[in-house]
Amino acid sequence: MYRTLIGILAAFAAALLVVGLTFSAASEQPADYAFINGTEPKSLDPALITGQPEGRIADAIFEGLTRRNTASLQPEPGVARAWSLSEDKRTWTFQLRPEARWSDGRPVTAHDFAWSWRRMLEPALGAEYAYLLHLVRGAEAFNLYAANADAIVGPREKETLLAGVQRLLASGTPVALEAWQAFLSAGKAQEHLKGCSDPAVLEALATRADPLPRSVLEALVPALQREGARRRAEHARAVERLGRDEGFYARDDHTFVVDLVAPTPYFLELTCFYPLFAVPRWVVRPRDTGDVIADEDQDWFLPGTLVGNGPFTVESWRVNGKMRLARSSTYWGRERVRMRFVDVYPVDNVTTALNLYLTGEVDWLPGQYPLDVVQDLKQRPDFYAHAGLSTYFYRFNCTKPPFDDVRVRKALCLAVDRAEIVEHITQRGEVPATRMVPPGLAGYDPPGSGIVHDPEQARRLLAEAGYPGGKGFPAVSILHNTSEGHKKVAEYIADRLKRTLGIPVSAYNKEWQAYQDDMRLLKYEIARAGWIADYPDPNTFLDMWVTNGGNNQTGWSDALYDRLVTVCADVESFVRAGPEDVIARLKEPGKARELAAAVAGATDAAARAEAGVRLRAHLFREAEAILFQDAYPVMPLYYYVNTGLVRPWVREFYRELRLPDGSAAQNLQDLHPFHDVWVDAEAKARTGVR
Amino acid sequence: MRETLLLLGFLGLIVSTLWWPRPVLRTAGGLLLGGLVAVFVAPAHGLLAACLGGAPVALLAGWWLPGRVHRRVCFMVLTLGLLVYVTTLLMFLAPGNPFRQEKQANEQVEAALREKYGVPEDATAFFGVYMQRLLTEGSLGPSIKNQGRTVAELILPAFPVSLALGMTALVIATGLGLWLGVRAGLRPGSVADQGSMALAMVGISLPNFVIGSLLVMGFALELGWLPVAGWGGYRHLVLPALTLALPYAAYIARLARGGTIEVMQQDFIRTARAKGLSERAVVLKHALKGAILPVVSFLGPAAAGIFTGSFVVENLFGIPGMGQWFVKSAINRDYSVVLGAALIYCSLLTVFNLLVDMAYAWLDPRIRETL
Amino acid sequence: MSAAPASTSSLPEAGTSLGADAWRRMRRNRVAMAGLVVLVLVSLACFLLPPLMGMDPQAVDARRGAQPPGGEHLLGTDTLGRDYLARVLVGGQTSLLVGLVATLVCVLIGTLYGATAGYYGGRVDELMMRFVDFLYGIPYMFLVVLIMLLFEDEARGNPLPVFLALGAVQWLSMARIVRGQVLALRHQEFVLAARLTGASDTRIILRHILPNVLGIVIIYATLTVPAVIILESFLSFLGLGVDLSWGRLVAEAVAVINPIRSYGWLLLWPSLALALTLFSLNFVGDGLRDAFDPRSRR
Repeated sequence: MYRTLIGILAAFAAALLVVGLTFSAASEQPADYAFINGTEPKSLDPALITGQPEGRIADAIFEGLTRRNTASLQPEPGVARAWSLSEDKRTWTFQLRPEARWSDGRPVTAHDFAWSWRRMLEPALGAEYAYLLHLVRGAEAFNLYAANADAIVGPREKETLLAGVQRLLASGTPVALEAWQAFLSAGKAQEHLKGCSDPAVLEALATRADPLPRSVLEALVPALQREGARRRAEHARAVERLGRDEGFYARDDHTFVVDLVAPTPYFLELTCFYPLFAVPRWVVRPRDTGDVIADEDQDWFLPGTLVGNGPFTVESWRVNGKMRLARSSTYWGRERVRMRFVDVYPVDNVTTALNLYLTGEVDWLPGQYPLDVVQDLKQRPDFYAHAGLSTYFYRFNCTKPPFDDVRVRKALCLAVDRAEIVEHITQRGEVPATRMVPPGLAGYDPPGSGIVHDPEQARRLLAEAGYPGGKGFPAVSILHNTSEGHKKVAEYIADRLKRTLGIPVSAYNKEWQAYQDDMRLLKYEIARAGWIADYPDPNTFLDMWVTNGGNNQTGWSDALYDRLVTVCADVESFVRAGPEDVIARLKEPGKARELAAAVAGATDAAARAEAGVRLRAHLFREAEAILFQDAYPVMPLYYYVNTGLVRPWVREFYRELRLPDGSAAQNLQDLHPFHDVWVDAEAKARTGVR
Repeated sequence: MRETLLLLGFLGLIVSTLWWPRPVLRTAGGLLLGGLVAVFVAPAHGLLAACLGGAPVALLAGWWLPGRVHRRVCFMVLTLGLLVYVTTLLMFLAPGNPFRQEKQANEQVEAALREKYGVPEDATAFFGVYMQRLLTEGSLGPSIKNQGRTVAELILPAFPVSLALGMTALVIATGLGLWLGVRAGLRPGSVADQGSMALAMVGISLPNFVIGSLLVMGFALELGWLPVAGWGGYRHLVLPALTLALPYAAYIARLARGGTIEVMQQDFIRTARAKGLSERAVVLKHALKGAILPVVSFLGPAAAGIFTGSFVVENLFGIPGMGQWFVKSAINRDYSVVLGAALIYCSLLTVFNLLVDMAYAWLDPRIRETL
Repeated sequence: MSAAPASTSSLPEAGTSLGADAWRRMRRNRVAMAGLVVLVLVSLACFLLPPLMGMDPQAVDARRGAQPPGGEHLLGTDTLGRDYLARVLVGGQTSLLVGLVATLVCVLIGTLYGATAGYYGGRVDELMMRFVDFLYGIPYMFLVVLIMLLFEDEARGNPLPVFLALGAVQWLSMARIVRGQVLALRHQEFVLAARLTGASDTRIILRHILPNVLGIVIIYATLTVPAVIILESFLSFLGLGVDLSWGRLVAEAVAVINPIRSYGWLLLWPSLALALTLFSLNFVGDGLRDAFDPRSRR
């Protein structure tokens, strides 16, 4: 008996010893500033990350050519201390500051940027944001043309477009339009021929003739051969020269030159976005055998090996526990950085996150709180909410009944009361959306939208489509990824549609990976989605809807729409090539004609660039009008807001931006650069938590 | 087809261990045991250390352990292989894969990443790559979703955290449960009895995240005595350990109460009382024994449950422990982490079970036959 | 649980079957009977009230969200303005079904597996039990999550995969217990007698052995139901469970337990329903154990 007791006591003593040993590590200094980061960063490699939690850390440990001004978020000198733009608004020249240093003491040079940008474009790296650099001359060729050429003419791919077309020709039988479109879709023709201006190719991609005229196929064969050869040649040239003396390159150690394809008003803003940061090549890729992936050290950004050039470095990182950032001792602006340590908590449980904020363990809580308390949080002075550059919408599966019928899609769009959603369900102050492109993009004048809350008309449309009173409508479900918030919205909309239109709608969730797969494979009827702007331009919201675009995922397709988005990439060539065939099909052809004439008639490069920007904006407006006046492939619901809680003693934290001209603006991306934020310890002691 | 064949082969191999002759068992068992040690040592200390550690174990085990243990070791290692294979099949059957990115689908990149992480599209091929890496390099492979980290780097630091949390919870559960149960069992039907048992019922019939949330609400937010979440000191341990312990404490209390009631009805208690022993001594010497015996047999399953069931508590209190990997890795389709977590957990548990059974057999010759 | 040492005074009556005997003892156990009554009432309420009263747990009224109990909605409304009474009752349907079906799965697999292992004994037994040990070694949560993911495509909120997953991890203990009992039974005279009459092994297991372990199976099954219901709530906590169940309601309500604003009733009602049901199940289980326990028949 006693032996058992003693045994148990001994086991307990041993257990407590284990516990004691776990905590024996010396306690560390308290952090100056702590915040909740939502989830653990998957990586910190600026070229590969895409999420907001990753971005926040990358912004702290790296710096681009420019950095964001704390008050206005507009580009201010970062690694580059000055820059200039050429007359034709295509060539940027950056002067790098000589005192910029990596955290291992090496100077930050223009060569680092040239190398990093080129790395970002390596097809084998698979950087999701590589397309941002397609603005640069030769970058797209470097990034994509080899794969394009392979898909068009080979030799690495066996199932090429050319071979397929030749097979169709040889068979001699007429090709049905549906079969032709299936062929194009399977071969990702739209993707691989993107930007091709060969009339034979354009005709073949856009044709609606059924069956397909043989002449189209016959003309396509030489066109594909030409296009394949052109892409192959341009790729070879880009491999030879991109980053060395073309596109972007180092003129000397401290001068970095960038040549753009077309004048791009937002290019400078991109240079403070993390994909365009420089990385330390001697750490990232210590070997050089030519095999991109094998050459790289995958763990280069972990504490111990990390070399950065930003205001902070990662001091320690316990996965699912805490990451600690420490002020860099080599950062050029280190004297102005006031915080020594920043703690980052990857808490994904929203209640826990809110509790940590309320007890004063963290100073900033971006968006991670239970949805149901937002009404009460809104009353607090430390709560903030501002518009975001992002849209919340539902995709329709346009390939299958009932949503292959535009009347059904429109009926559903009209049946939902967006005002009620934002006022009573999401409640954070979202703005009801009737279009894709959120408000707040300079220079973009959005078109009218056919979407209003009109249950009467919705019922009428449904009846026209053959489902009077919802009779005969198949059971459909709304797919959403697992999240309390999405679930609420989906259940609300399902019930409203059921009540308004009499159709059987339900909601179901899947977790992220499976949800993404289903969207991609069109294994859904209605699916929730959100889109956050990658850069402040309508293109980021509109180019996704081109036929078979990787992010279209609705199966919707429209030839004019595709054409409009394509020509927007380079409006000057579009005007030169004769724009009338496109313009004649627009809703406001007069306006477009006028703008095109202004581009054609411009006397100097600067004026032409400026007129081009206006024409481009108008063409985007026409494209969006197709979406929400004619086709309704998606049901926009609302534009997101960024919300959060921040303690009053956090200084240089701009809930609302202050622009250089003194006006206020929305903090669209909820960014609060670490180089200036600081915590007023006195104020903190004075006010106390709560 | 190939999958079925392989599964059948595995099962056949496992079944055949029952008929393996002694020398084969002895050799295989020793080698496997040594190999197992090596595989565990290798990720942390390198191949040389693994060989240095594995070889003597293999020799000693082959020489010294009884045949039944060898059979069990062979069986165990083969079933671990089966575990990896079955888990792999399940993972590959589930929709979604870890290489999908949100914004772009690029087949070439996916192929390159598959090559880099050693994840062919076919489950059986992946199993081959995985086992080869495990056996030749002693490596659990890289994590797919946590770039730059190996599975060992992710899971090993979480291990002591879970151990500390689990041990504390187990101590609390046993202490609290015994105290409540014995008190209740000494006076069945009294207020103390009904009170403790009602408390125990609450512990059993409410999910622990409810209890945890209420504890946080009371002790951390209202009273401000303890931190709401996080990991780093003894204070961070109290609430999660308590939350984790309560359902088990409740169960233990019920077991202890039953045991105590039974013991107190026995004749020898009356004898002890008649001898003039104080009530206190009666309780300490006899009642406690009756209470402890059923509890001891429950501690094994309780330990396992506490250790793997901690994911809810870890999530609620933001603790960097093992539990989250079981759930998160499966949801993220981080294949190698899934397998690593399952493998480590399963082999620890089986080794632990084996040791316990061996200890029993050594202590009590009667059980030796059943080992 | 019951304190009353059930019927130590009564002698077994000749000719009464095991079940009738147990039921007689069970009836004298007031706590257990009260539990049984509560269970029946809860089940009736959950399965009959919503269809009879035309309740719709999905009908939203966003403008009247989070109303406290009383007035038009007896138990208040949730944050989407859905009637909470309807939600708790319909949620109860799923929870009870999950508990029941998963337990059935577990009983079916566990009993057959355990009986087979116990009956044949020897190497078959060793092999089968080692396999159970092996399955014990897999983190159960992980297995459940994997099975859930596997069926996700077809599920769309349908609770079937949850039944399967939970049943599949719960049968192990059942198998062990049954095997232990059968191991003791297989050398008894009635088994030998049956074997002498030429009955097949299958017949002996099904006809002669299983009825004799039924008591323990029932007891263990009543204890499995609560375990399964709690496990389902964990799944809901992770967002993997079914659409509407007590576990889901509790998990959702826990998210609004914070110092800013606590909609207490959202947590109270499903917790109460959960606790009441599980209390009763435990009492019934204890009552059954006492009733079937051979020792109490001394």
